[in-house]
Amino acid sequence: MSTLFTQLWQNGGFWVGVGETLYMTVASALLAYVIGLPLGVILVITDSDGLTPVVWLNKILSILVNILRSIPFIILMVALIPFSRAILGTSIGNGAMILMLVVASAPYVARMVESSLKEVDKGIVEAARSMGANTFQIIWKVYLPEAKPSLIVGAVISTVTILGYSAMSGTIAGGGLGSIAVTQARPSNAQDVIWLCVALMVVIVQIIQEVGMFVARKVDKRRRTNKKIKQSKNNNSDSNGNAETTDDNGKNSANNAATI
Amino acid sequence: MSNISKIQLINLTKTYPSPAGDVTALENIDLTIPDGSVFGIIGLSGAGKSTLVRCINLLERPTSGQVLIDGEDITKLPKKKLLRLRRNIGMIFQGFNLLEQRTVEANVRFPLELDRIPRDKANARVAELLEMVGLSDKAKSYPSQLSGGQKQRVAIARALATNPKYVLCDEATSALDPTTTESILGLIKDINKKLGVTVVVITHEMRVVESICTHVAVIDNSRIAEVGLVSEVFSFPQSEIAKQLIIPNLIRSLSGGEGTKLRLVFNGEGTDEPIISALAMECRVAANILYADTKNIDGKTFGHMVITVPEETTAKVKEFLDAHNVSYKEE
Ligand SMILES: Nc1ncnc2c1ncn2[C@@H]1O[C@H](COP(=O)(O)OP(=O)(O)O)[C@@H](O)[C@H]1O
Ligand SMILES: [Mg+2]
Repeated sequence: MSTLFTQLWQNGGFWVGVGETLYMTVASALLAYVIGLPLGVILVITDSDGLTPVVWLNKILSILVNILRSIPFIILMVALIPFSRAILGTSIGNGAMILMLVVASAPYVARMVESSLKEVDKGIVEAARSMGANTFQIIWKVYLPEAKPSLIVGAVISTVTILGYSAMSGTIAGGGLGSIAVTQARPSNAQDVIWLCVALMVVIVQIIQEVGMFVARKVDKRRRTNKKIKQSKNNNSDSNGNAETTDDNGKNSANNAATI
Repeated sequence: MSNISKIQLINLTKTYPSPAGDVTALENIDLTIPDGSVFGIIGLSGAGKSTLVRCINLLERPTSGQVLIDGEDITKLPKKKLLRLRRNIGMIFQGFNLLEQRTVEANVRFPLELDRIPRDKANARVAELLEMVGLSDKAKSYPSQLSGGQKQRVAIARALATNPKYVLCDEATSALDPTTTESILGLIKDINKKLGVTVVVITHEMRVVESICTHVAVIDNSRIAEVGLVSEVFSFPQSEIAKQLIIPNLIRSLSGGEGTKLRLVFNGEGTDEPIISALAMECRVAANILYADTKNIDGKTFGHMVITVPEETTAKVKEFLDAHNVSYKEE
């Protein structure tokens, strides 16, 4: 066992690393959504077939997003050092890292949000329009709630991506498991420290993934099992086990099997 | 103007721009949809039916022409007023278009939420509507737990939530099986009768028009080919497309054989005595039945029959048919 490992184990350094990683990831993800969610919504509604087409705005935002997304994070990070100094007065520490992570991930989040919203059935949006809903109501009452499961899945993927980025930014700005593994353990070749960091990252990713997917499934009302229907249908005389088909009037009839 | 309350389309044209040149979906459409009617618009796929109905509530902006609702040209309305007007025009769709993440009752409440109706008042209205469409027991269900027919009932309840004067149906029953179609059509007819709602029914299915519409417009290639009362248009379609749609293919392709081919139309007005045997008895003419598609509703006969009679008896037969109040046409 390396001395670094013993040292970190005894002074709780690993847990500090876990805490910093989680803090940076969660804080960055939240801020990235504060920017990325509205940006994604704007990308969808200003699209040429969107609710309020504004083609020039859509083009500009789209290009901006693409540019930011095409710069490798490790380069973007370095490029952002002066920016961080100008805004925060420093280019190291948690604040600087969060700034870099947000700049890098907000465009990513915007695209995730955009693709989730575009999954919403156009027919539902049209129905809302036919009822006289305005643009704001359609965003708030149709797009966001209808895309909720998909948005949650997107948030899980974004968060895991940001977690990965945070390990990278840790090497420059300091802090988190990435920083322990790369700036502390690598020079002394403390393999056990590196591997524990890896294991901790894997566990964190797993937890985020599992919890997120569970929530996404839980909130999705589209493909429920028919257990509930089956139970409520027990008082019906329908005994052919065909739980899915109820007659239009809730009565049993010969057309049960034909009902879509 | 005697009655201003109606939907009127005046010289409506709609073209969609496309890289390969403009697509004309509607051309010089003039149409009046009288108040209280169930107005069918029938045509082949791609004829422009959906575009037409979407122009009525301006989901689609016509390229030129006017849309008058109760005498007011709504293409000139400011945005806010247009949104308000749409509360007065319900719409139902082939794909139901329910909000999948909302319960049945929350779907029906949706238009009331848009109007910021207080929750308890809205809920009372929702309960009333679900009762009307026979789905009170499904209030807490999600759309994915319903059959197609039930989904369409929810959509109808939702379309009626704001007490609209008009309801537009775009292929509302095209995704449903025949039995369910019948029950949904029954519901639409009820709405028209009991609530006095004017209904516009878009369909490519004859039987839909036949079973609930009072008026029908036949649309072909972006233009109105024919329009009138269902009883008239269905009995004696004038345009080629209407004939094609209305008269079963069978009749038209029947090889005549010898003699005069006559198409008899029963629209419930003629006698209900067996006409062919009467013809044989009274005129001593043996008619040859090529095709018959008649049904008896409330003791009255509806449908078509195609017969041939010997050339020389034609005049006599026509006289007989006139006397018995049977409409006919020589084919
Ligand atoms: N958004 C659109 N963009 C381009 N062309 C369209 C659009 N909507 C409809 N069309 C065209 O307009 C014509 C009429 O379409 P539609 O009104 O949907 O017909 P129907 O409902 O009778 O089947 C078709 O040729 C169709 O391809
Ligand atoms: Mg259509």
